[in-house]
Amino acid sequence: MNNRLKVLRAERDWSQAHLAERLGVSRQTVNALETGRYDPSLPLAFKIARVFEQPIESIFFE
Amino acid sequence: MKSVKPLGAAGVIGLVVALFVLGVGAGIGAAFLSDQPGVGGLVGSGAFLIAVMAAVLVVTIWWWRRLDEAAREAHKWAWYWGGSAGMAVGLALLLTVTTRNVDLSRFVAADTSAGDLILGGMMSILLFQLAGYTLAWGWWWLARMRG
Repeated sequence: MNNRLKVLRAERDWSQAHLAERLGVSRQTVNALETGRYDPSLPLAFKIARVFEQPIESIFFE
Repeated sequence: MKSVKPLGAAGVIGLVVALFVLGVGAGIGAAFLSDQPGVGGLVGSGAFLIAVMAAVLVVTIWWWRRLDEAAREAHKWAWYWGGSAGMAVGLALLLTVTTRNVDLSRFVAADTSAGDLILGGMMSILLFQLAGYTLAWGWWWLARMRG
C-alpha cells in the first residue's frame, strides 16, 4: 500500500522525529511507513489521519 | 492505540545492564546451588532458576511494552521465519553429524556427562535459532529503510 506521508510531512516542515513523537512511535517506524513497505495497523492509520487532519483514504491508497 | 515512548539509548543500556546482572546472578547462584546435596539442593536449584527466568520475563515484558508496532512486527517476523529457518538448518546439520560416523569426541571433554550432552544439543539448536532470528531481524528493517 502506498501513502502520502512523506509529502504531508514535508508540507508541514516536520522532521521524521517530530512526526514520530506526535504519533507515539519510533522514528524508524515513520521511516518504514514512508517507504511504503510497512502498512500501519488500523489504530495507527486513524492516528495518522488525526495528526494530519485528513481522511484515511486521502493518505493511504493502493 | 496506546502510544509508547520508544526506548532511548539510556533505556537500552539499562535493559542490557539489568539482563547482565540477572545473568551473572543466575550463574553464581546456580553454581552455588549445584553443590548442595540431596533433594533440597535439586529443588532449590530448580526453584532458583525458575525465579531467575521469571525475572527475565518481567524485564522483557517491560521492554516489549515500550516497543512500537513496527518494532514488534520485526521481532515477530524474525522469530517465526528466522528462528524457524535457523532451527531447520541446525536440525539438519546435527542430524547429519550424529547419524553419520563423524568423530565428535574431539569436540567434547572426556568426562562429559549425558546431561552436558543434552544441554549442548539444546544450546546448539538455540544458537542456530538466534543466528537466523538476528539475520531475519536485520533483513526486515533493511528492506523497510531503503524506500
